[in-house]
Amino acid sequence: MSAEVRESAQGFVRESAQRKPARTQQRRPGNPLRDNADRRLPRIPPPCALVVFGITGDLAQKKLLPAVYDLANRGLLPTSFVLLGFARRDWGDGEFIELAHKAAKEHARTPWREDVWKRLAASCKFVPGAFDDDDAFDTLAETLLDLEESHGVAGNAAFYLSIPPDSFPIVLKQMQRTGMSDNIDDSITGYWRRVVVEKPFGRDLLSSRELNELVDSVFTAQDVFRIDHYLGKETVQNLLALRFANTLFEPVWNSHHVDSVQITMAEDVGIGSRANFYDATGTARDVVQNHILQLLALTAMEEPVEYTPDAIRTEKLKVLRAISLPDDLSRYAIRGQYTQGWLAGQRVPGYVQEDKVPDDSKTETYVALRLGVQTRRWAGVPFYLRAGKRLPRRVTEIALTFRRAPHVPFTASDTESLGQNQLVVRVQPDEGVTLKFGSKVPGTVMEVRDVAMDFLYGTAFTEASPEAYERLLLDVLIGDATLFPRHQEVEASWAVIDPLEEFWAGQHPAHYRAGEWGPVEADQMLASDGRIWRRP
Amino acid sequence: MSTLWDTTGTEVVKALGAARRNGAAVTSGLALTFVVVAEERHVEMAEAAATTAAAMHPCRLVMVVRRENTAPTPRLDAEVSVGGRLGPGEAVQLRMYGRLALHAESVVLPLLAPDVPVVTWWPGKAPDRLGTDGLGVLAERRVTDCAVHDNALDALRTRASDYAPGDTDLAWTRITSWRSMLAAAVDSAGGPGRASVTVTGGRVYGRPDSASAALLAGWLSSRLYTTVKVVDSDPKAPEKGGLPDPGGVSGARLDLAGADPIYIHHREGAGVVTRSGRPDSSAALTERDIGELLGEELRRLDADESYCAALAAATNSRGLSRRPGTRSLIWEDPAAAPDKRGEDLTVAGKVQGSRR
Repeated sequence: MSAEVRESAQGFVRESAQRKPARTQQRRPGNPLRDNADRRLPRIPPPCALVVFGITGDLAQKKLLPAVYDLANRGLLPTSFVLLGFARRDWGDGEFIELAHKAAKEHARTPWREDVWKRLAASCKFVPGAFDDDDAFDTLAETLLDLEESHGVAGNAAFYLSIPPDSFPIVLKQMQRTGMSDNIDDSITGYWRRVVVEKPFGRDLLSSRELNELVDSVFTAQDVFRIDHYLGKETVQNLLALRFANTLFEPVWNSHHVDSVQITMAEDVGIGSRANFYDATGTARDVVQNHILQLLALTAMEEPVEYTPDAIRTEKLKVLRAISLPDDLSRYAIRGQYTQGWLAGQRVPGYVQEDKVPDDSKTETYVALRLGVQTRRWAGVPFYLRAGKRLPRRVTEIALTFRRAPHVPFTASDTESLGQNQLVVRVQPDEGVTLKFGSKVPGTVMEVRDVAMDFLYGTAFTEASPEAYERLLLDVLIGDATLFPRHQEVEASWAVIDPLEEFWAGQHPAHYRAGEWGPVEADQMLASDGRIWRRP
Repeated sequence: MSTLWDTTGTEVVKALGAARRNGAAVTSGLALTFVVVAEERHVEMAEAAATTAAAMHPCRLVMVVRRENTAPTPRLDAEVSVGGRLGPGEAVQLRMYGRLALHAESVVLPLLAPDVPVVTWWPGKAPDRLGTDGLGVLAERRVTDCAVHDNALDALRTRASDYAPGDTDLAWTRITSWRSMLAAAVDSAGGPGRASVTVTGGRVYGRPDSASAALLAGWLSSRLYTTVKVVDSDPKAPEKGGLPDPGGVSGARLDLAGADPIYIHHREGAGVVTRSGRPDSSAALTERDIGELLGEELRRLDADESYCAALAAATNSRGLSRRPGTRSLIWEDPAAAPDKRGEDLTVAGKVQGSRR
């Protein structure tokens, strides 16, 4: 081949391998100061109000208020911004500001700056009232209108429902009655109205459908943001980068090479003060339906055609709908409940001894499951999921175990301590990726043993990586729905959980001592498949 | 931490290897090598800043302090630490005496982390031509700071005439929050039910000798295809900026087609947006220390086209973006006769561990 031809051939390859041109920013095409090449400029939401129902609640104080302060401190809030609290307290703005000050100062991630706080405090408002109080909602609606004049928020508002789900209908109806939720189309009204809801999104397929229909009828479907804070974590987003930005992993990311997948979400804490909620919910509904199935979807999904909310959702939905349950549920769907035991050197009570938990409670605090994903990529690969409370340590991770090499030229005794290759994505703590593979032990004999190659987000990046709520809140105000599950995903997830709950109804969960890695039945489940749980 | 007196580059490489093995867990995942070229009087400031930046980005920090380059015998002292006083990562501090200072890259090249970008930062005055410093030649990204020069505008012009893709200046980094505010102000200028606005021009208020103000004006000129000038701010008139911030910028005006202009001015650590018919609004313009500015710089390891455009507009120069991104070493011997200075020696291929 002559040099010229080779050159042009290379030129062709280079051209076709070129990345797609960066998508023009669709949000505001008219702004000449915005440029896609200018990556220093952060995304800042338009002028808006954030209305929080249940502002005195635990979540609002520990996560929401600090996140708002952190955003302000990082210069990511618009110049015209109002934080509007609503709760059943006989309060004025002053008491609310005091509460917000305390919560933000105590839990903020970024350093405390008094001048940032002062500016934020100047835009904090409080409206007292109960959810069934028409007058209070009329006041709220008026306040919101006034803010347009006094603070220039331009009619944009996000409503954060940090309240129990059984209050949703009444609050949503009040918003509908007062016209606060009115916003058929941004381009006609010129402003947006969004609603943010927290899990649980219902307690089964039927109730979640009702809830979704209610929320979607008051707001329009694309204005509903369901917060699954796991999706706001950097490592979870990094999973997409790991899989789809690299050439190394995607070729082995299928049933030809992957033996099994284990997704673990362990907590060392008990149920705390959430007894009423937890006893009626259980682990499957509390974390498996949302967090774990979302992690599974991100692990198993095909490549989205582009990094947009719709494209990613399409792929996740395909996975969720392709999930299959095992035939033998009694062996592959294990529930557990912790009993009294020792954890981290402390004696902890069993689940039924916790405050306000009935003595004969059949609620599970542990779930281990085997699911399948019926696609060409994953047929035959078991997905083992487990989640539980009062396990030895707090850890969430996704571990892909690869098949053994079909042939190794070494003798069996050489590779005795060689396990299977593993790729582990650690979601929390010590966010990062570990690759486990065999390596020769130094010495005169050929002995192969497992070693780990570690990538740690933690030590080097933590200072700069924002809290999940911070990221998600910003996304809501900007209107970026990439990291929020839509109602179809929620419903597809419930379709997985419902048959399990049906099967478990009336059964007693297996017991495990607090401080152990779950009941023995869960170990037996993997043993019967010839596998063992990875110790995370 | 280990300290090596009167040593050689090979010994430093060995010491770093040993320190890495001892603290293996801390050092996985290097994203870049960060070379700091400091004078002795800047060492303290540079250390603090580099430590802050290293905490945000996993990097290997190589700090070079050149001393007494007239000393008769060359000498190298080194301090090697992993996860010590110079941040959580690997750090090497090198002090070079005598003629060795002119060949600093011979010590630094083997210390660069394999196959990751190199960023060089001059905390003090950077050379007029970055190519004369071997430590600038081996870097993909070069960070300077015009604000440390007595005449910052002259320094900015020097940077433009010497510009190569991959250069940036901290005077530019200092105005990121200003730029962000201006962009957000235009975003929200349309408002409910109103058509989007057209920006026809503007003004930047600030100290006339500020490189940051000049770059802000340059950026606006490049984005708006018009000439935006810097006007001396008037501390008594808020609409003319008021008091300048530490970078020297005190405000800006954006002219809109068929509407009243938007004023933004600096007041007590905040940017206040004023526009007739709308309530004033404000957001924090927090003052960032050098470490935080560097943290922003290390976030991007490719050429900054926006800076290039702003610099070109601010200094009226052309063709900056078409210059080659790699630099060649220009040999300049301070001891040699002045008429022999600046003779180009094309040894670029040998000197740089270039990834391109």
